[in-house]
Amino acid sequence: MSLFKNIAAIVAIAVAASLPTMWSNPYYIHLMVVIGIYAILLLGLDIVVGYVGEVSLGHAALFGIGSYTAGVLGHSLGVPFLLTIPASIVVTAIFGAILALPALRVNGPYLAMVTLAFGTIIQILINEMDFLTNGPLGITIRKPIYFGHHISSADYYYIVLAALVMTLFVVQRILKSHLGRAFEALHDSPIASDCMGVSVYGYKVYAFVLSAGIAGLAGGLFTYSEEYISPNTYNFELTILFLLAVIMGGRKTRIGPILGAIIIVMLPNVLSDIDLFRKIAVGIAAVTVAYSIYVIATKQRSFKQMALPLLATIALAVSGFYIQDITGQRLTIFGLMILFVVYYLPNGIMGFLRGILLRIRPQWMHRHEVILEHGDKQHVWSVPDHPVTARGNLLEARNIVMQFGGLKALNEVNLEVKKGTVHGLIGPNGSGKSTMMNVLTGIYKPTSGEIEFNGKHITGATPSSIAGEGIARTFQNVQLFGEMTAIENVLVGLHHTYRHSLLDVVFHTPRCRREKLAARVRAASLLQFVGLVDLASEEARNLPYGKQRLLEIARALALNPSLLLLDEPAAGLTAPDIKELIGMINKIRGHGITVILIEHHMDVVMSICDTVTVLDFGQKIAEGTPAQVQSDDKVIEAYLGGTAAA
Amino acid sequence: MLRINNLHAAYGKVEVLHGISVEVPQGKVVTLIGSNGAGKTTTMRAISGMIKPVSGSISLNGKDITGMSSSKIARAGLAHSPEGRRVFATLSVTDNLLLGAFPRLTFGRERGDVPGDLVRVFDLFPRLKERETQLAGTLSGGEQQMLAMGRALMLNPAVLLLDEPSMGLAPLLVAEVFRIIRELKARGITMLLVEQFAAAALEVADYGYVMENGRISVHGPAGQLKNDPAVREAYLGAAH
Repeated sequence: MSLFKNIAAIVAIAVAASLPTMWSNPYYIHLMVVIGIYAILLLGLDIVVGYVGEVSLGHAALFGIGSYTAGVLGHSLGVPFLLTIPASIVVTAIFGAILALPALRVNGPYLAMVTLAFGTIIQILINEMDFLTNGPLGITIRKPIYFGHHISSADYYYIVLAALVMTLFVVQRILKSHLGRAFEALHDSPIASDCMGVSVYGYKVYAFVLSAGIAGLAGGLFTYSEEYISPNTYNFELTILFLLAVIMGGRKTRIGPILGAIIIVMLPNVLSDIDLFRKIAVGIAAVTVAYSIYVIATKQRSFKQMALPLLATIALAVSGFYIQDITGQRLTIFGLMILFVVYYLPNGIMGFLRGILLRIRPQWMHRHEVILEHGDKQHVWSVPDHPVTARGNLLEARNIVMQFGGLKALNEVNLEVKKGTVHGLIGPNGSGKSTMMNVLTGIYKPTSGEIEFNGKHITGATPSSIAGEGIARTFQNVQLFGEMTAIENVLVGLHHTYRHSLLDVVFHTPRCRREKLAARVRAASLLQFVGLVDLASEEARNLPYGKQRLLEIARALALNPSLLLLDEPAAGLTAPDIKELIGMINKIRGHGITVILIEHHMDVVMSICDTVTVLDFGQKIAEGTPAQVQSDDKVIEAYLGGTAAA
Repeated sequence: MLRINNLHAAYGKVEVLHGISVEVPQGKVVTLIGSNGAGKTTTMRAISGMIKPVSGSISLNGKDITGMSSSKIARAGLAHSPEGRRVFATLSVTDNLLLGAFPRLTFGRERGDVPGDLVRVFDLFPRLKERETQLAGTLSGGEQQMLAMGRALMLNPAVLLLDEPSMGLAPLLVAEVFRIIRELKARGITMLLVEQFAAAALEVADYGYVMENGRISVHGPAGQLKNDPAVREAYLGAAH
């Protein structure tokens, strides 16, 4: 598959390189240059839209900033092409950071609004700052001259093609690395990302700045291809067009953005030629009719399901013969296309093709080989035991108060956890156990009180920095990265072991390869430990509930924690599974990892806990050995009931 | 009554149910037990139409409901109290319950006595009555479980599916949930129950099916399964 991909890539580049010899018409060459430039920008936009899952309406403005950086530097200061392009990248990345730092504190529709406002402001600024940008009159700049040779349109095509191939290569490397995995993870479950030490905010800004830098490159190249830039180009319609292209081409693919660029550049040309439009509309209608007959005949779809697309494409073809001036209907056509794509191709053209491919060749779905011989005992996860020398307290929480409105979920709770022990935390539902977990891991900031971990104050620290200190956790409502495979989930937990930089990723240095391999081996050994190695390439959301809980434990252990918080690990497990779980927790303790365990299964609590703390209505009502707690009258009344465990 | 015949179901390409046949007679409680990943929850989801079966048939009161949408199956009288509760967190307790009766609404007219059923559900779960105006998301885990069960009962269902009603509940509440299941049984409600506490489930049920890797391995009257040495060892644990 990998060889096939490489050959396909080389053939594609060769074909792209030979295109100008086939179409030497300058108009076509210019179109291909614009396609290349848009494709570069879309590759960057896909990082934000596809991977991080945020909508940016500011990319036309970022594109404009790149253009004007090159334009102003080249026109007013006479800076050469080879310097203006890197300057475009850097300046736009800085603007991206200025936008991202405040904007990414919000998300969803708010982020879309903030980026939209940014786009409007930038367009106005370009218009008004006459002294720099020459205002609405725009800037004229010629293509550069090198070695006495004036770069022609055809030459410029090769420059853009080289830049596109480079961008494609860099983006591919980044997205297949731990950085790309972090982007996907924070989109899938922000709370779990933070608790795995992958700061959601930090990586969102990172992704946005990368994306902005790439938009800057595209913008700089655009200046020299057009030889004239003016503020009107970088308007709202362009930003929408970019989004449409990414979604229509297919998010989270490398070919999708290129397809998208081809569509948005070619479409206005198709629409301006009414005869061509008629032919294409009839063609689409014919294909749809044929496809519908096929799926209805093979009973994959009912006639009712296919009626709308059939009707719509036929209506489009017929209306093509009535309308004389199609350019006026351009926005209508775009709108219809968005509707069609969102409704019938939610994963874009590439997503659709990939779906077909996987139906024919399902074995291509397995993206990762697991580096491990099955049943190889010496590869089961282990850590250099944290020797428990001093038996002091690993964690001390003092007078913790957590108030939600008028409700005190935790009221002056003290918790001391000794090194190397399993500390049980029990109590009725709603007594504040999970709140305590969230306070300890930084998801909630306590109203008052302080927490000391390993002699360090961690009160009010962010979840990702607390994870970095060595506190790992699982979640009561499973928080896996659902669309990632089991082993990828564990690899997110191993994020802290990747010390190499962005440049290492791009150049695939030995250091990068070494760390990648080490992480894979370690991830496989962790899966082996929880007994999930056979399911390593299964998507986490397809695992049964109990196995998802085990995967969370493996992911938490990947952080190499000194304190592990388990929130109801036995929920949904049957009696034999619970026995295995008990064995697992004992082994974890055997490695010197301290455990805090929230659990309702009394057999689990009683058999492995050294100390048990009982909460009720946010207050500690008892603490002691399991036996002491079990015979405590208050605990029996509030929690256990007369007959003890069911 | 509910009859499932040779049901096959899959997630994507991976088949997880390989021919399940289960029968839930009128007024009886039937339980499905088995280890994790055996396919219990998948069976429940296939019955209520949340996943489309690959083949096989499901009928409710003699009417074929195979492949129908979840909303139509609910209208046909099958209620599902799902694993993990899934209450509408931002709606009040009363609104959650009334939404449970939503499938009984046709052209603005309700079938049967919805206000009366609301009173009956509140009788069964006095804790919910105390919290009728509170938002469901602010309830404790045990209260949410009661709400999920109450919501399913508001359908006035012919058959009630209960998936892991005791999951994540404190021991006192586990006992309470089983008390309620017994109470429902006494009222003649037909139930299919999936439970992690297999012993307790077999205690309340009339008939049991043991699932293993997407197949039924053993089935029989609950009393008989409870004393089957193989079942005892594999699913009931040493403690019982």
